[in-house]
Amino acid sequence: MGIRLFTEPKLHQPDMVVGWPGIGNIGVITVDTLRQETGAEPLGDIEPWDFFYPNKVVIKGGVLEKLEFPSNKFYYKRLDDRDLLLFIGEEQPSEHGRMYAEGGKAYEMANLVLDVAEQFGCRRVYTSGAAVALTHHEIKPRVWAVATDDRVLAEAQGYINTVLMSEAEGRGDFGNITGLNGLLTGVARKRGFEGICLMGEIPDYLSRVPFPYPRASQSVLEVLGSALGVPINPKALEGMVTQIEGVISNVFRQFPPAVREKIDQRKRDIQTRPGIITDEEEQWLKEHIDDLFQRGEKGQ
Amino acid sequence: MTELVQFSSRPEFRNPTLVAAWSMDAAGLGWSVTDYLVSKLDGQPFCHIEPVDFFTLGGVTIDNDLVQFPESRFYACPEKDLVLFQSTPPSHEWYRFMNLVLDVARDYCHVREFYTVGSMVALGPHSAPRQFFATVSSRELKEELGPYGLTREVNYESPPGARPTLNSFFLWAARRRNIPGANLWAPVPFYLVSSDDPAACKKVLEFLNHRLGLGLDLSDLDEEARALDERIDRIRASSPDVDRYIGKLENSEGLAEGEGEKLAKEVEELLREEEG
Repeated sequence: MGIRLFTEPKLHQPDMVVGWPGIGNIGVITVDTLRQETGAEPLGDIEPWDFFYPNKVVIKGGVLEKLEFPSNKFYYKRLDDRDLLLFIGEEQPSEHGRMYAEGGKAYEMANLVLDVAEQFGCRRVYTSGAAVALTHHEIKPRVWAVATDDRVLAEAQGYINTVLMSEAEGRGDFGNITGLNGLLTGVARKRGFEGICLMGEIPDYLSRVPFPYPRASQSVLEVLGSALGVPINPKALEGMVTQIEGVISNVFRQFPPAVREKIDQRKRDIQTRPGIITDEEEQWLKEHIDDLFQRGEKGQ
Repeated sequence: MTELVQFSSRPEFRNPTLVAAWSMDAAGLGWSVTDYLVSKLDGQPFCHIEPVDFFTLGGVTIDNDLVQFPESRFYACPEKDLVLFQSTPPSHEWYRFMNLVLDVARDYCHVREFYTVGSMVALGPHSAPRQFFATVSSRELKEELGPYGLTREVNYESPPGARPTLNSFFLWAARRRNIPGANLWAPVPFYLVSSDDPAACKKVLEFLNHRLGLGLDLSDLDEEARALDERIDRIRASSPDVDRYIGKLENSEGLAEGEGEKLAKEVEELLREEEG
C-alpha cells in the first residue's frame, strides 16, 4: 500500500488543496477546476487497490487486459510565491459500502495524503465540500469555513463571502463534517498542519439530487483563488453552471406553488434577515422537499 | 500469514490446481460445481479465513428460515492434487482478502494454476446448446487451453457504472503474484437464476474433468438436467404463457416488455411449488 510519485520536484512552501466527491460534487469540481486553471501537472497517486473495488475491466480476445480503479491523484504547480499541491480522489474509501469514507481505510487515506504534503514541505491544507443550507438556488452560495486553530480561523473569517460554520444559519457552536473532506482536517490538526475546510452552500432541496452544483464550487474557487493568490477565471465554470441552472429551473417550476413560495420566501428573508429561517419552515421543508423534487424530476 | 487464516489440518499437495467459487452467482453455479467436487472427491476442509475484517457483521441474514453467515473455506482433495475454495463475497477489503486466499494457495499449497467458476445470465432458452466461456490471465494459458473447446475470444469492456466481477478482480490479483488462471463462465438462462442449472454445472465440470484428469463420471448430472427439462415441460404444459415465452426464445424471437420478468417469476414459483 503506498504512494507512487511520478516526479519529485522541489517545491517552495506549497499549500495543498484536496477534494473528494460528496454532495453536489462541490469539492472535486473545485479542485479539478483549480487544476485546469493553474495548469497543474501530475505528481503521483495512491495505489488504489487497497482502498477500492475496481471500476472497469477490459478483456480482449479472452485475455484480461486491464483492471482500473478509482483514481487518487496528486498534482503540483509552481507559483510566484507559495507553490501548490492538489489532490483529487475519485471516490471516498468506505468499509461498509457507504458513499462517505469512514473507519480505518479513511484514516489511512487521509494520512497518505498528508504524508505527501509533509514530504514536499506543505504546512497548510485546504479541503472543500458542501454545506447543506436553507438557501435558494438563485442566491449566490456563501462559503462556510472551519479551521484547525484560532489563528487560521481568524484568517478564514476575513475571506470574501465566507462565514464561520458556527455563524451560519444560527447553528451554534457544534456541527460535523461527514466524510474525508472533514476527516482530513481532523487528521491535519492531529499531525500539526494548518487546516481549513471550505464548504460551498447548496440548497437543502438539491442536496440529494444526482447532479453537481457548480455554483457552490464557483464560490469556493473564488475564496481559494484569493487565499492562495491564484488568479481564477471567474467564467471558468460558467458553462456548467448555466446548464445545471436550466435543469434546476425546470424542476423548480414543477414544484407545487405553495412549496415554490415557501422556498422563494428565503430570497426575501435573506435580504432582510440574513440566515434566519423559522424552525417551523425548516421542519416543513425537511419533511416534504425530497419527495417533491423527485416528483418534479419526473415531470409530474 | 496472519491469524486471519486458520488451519485445521495440514494436507500435502504436489503442484495442485485451485478451483474457487463465490456464493450468490446466478443459479448458485460456482458453489454447485465446487460442492459437486467436494462430494465426489471426498474433499476435506482444512483451512478457513476468519470473517471479521472482510464482512459487515452487524447481524445475520436469514434464507428460508436458515441463518446464513459468511464462510470462506478451503477443501483438500490430495489424491487429485486439487484445492477447492468456497467463499461468500467479501463486503470490503477485497484485495487484502484475495491476497490471503493467494497466500494459502501459493505459499502453503504451491498451486500452479487456478480456475474460478461463475455464471452469467443468458437471454436464451434452456433447451439451446449451452455455451462456455473463459477469460484468462495470459496469452500462454489461452494457447494451452485451446484444445478444450472453450469459447475464448471474449471481448468485453465494462460499461460506466458497472463494476467488474469479483472473479475478474481475483484473476488480476493472482496475475500480480504470477499465478496463472482463468475465470470460467457458464451462461444460465435468466429464468433459472433462482434454481439449480445442472446443464451449466456439467459444462464446467466437463472441462475441469478433462483438464485436471479427475476421472469423474458426470452422468448423474445428465439425469438431473433431464429431470429439470421434464419439470419445465410440465410447467409449459400447465402454463400457456410460459410455453409461449419459452417458445419465442427457442425461435430466437425477442420477448416483449414485461414478458421476461413474468416468465422468470412464473418458472421460479412453479419450480418451487413442484418441490413442495
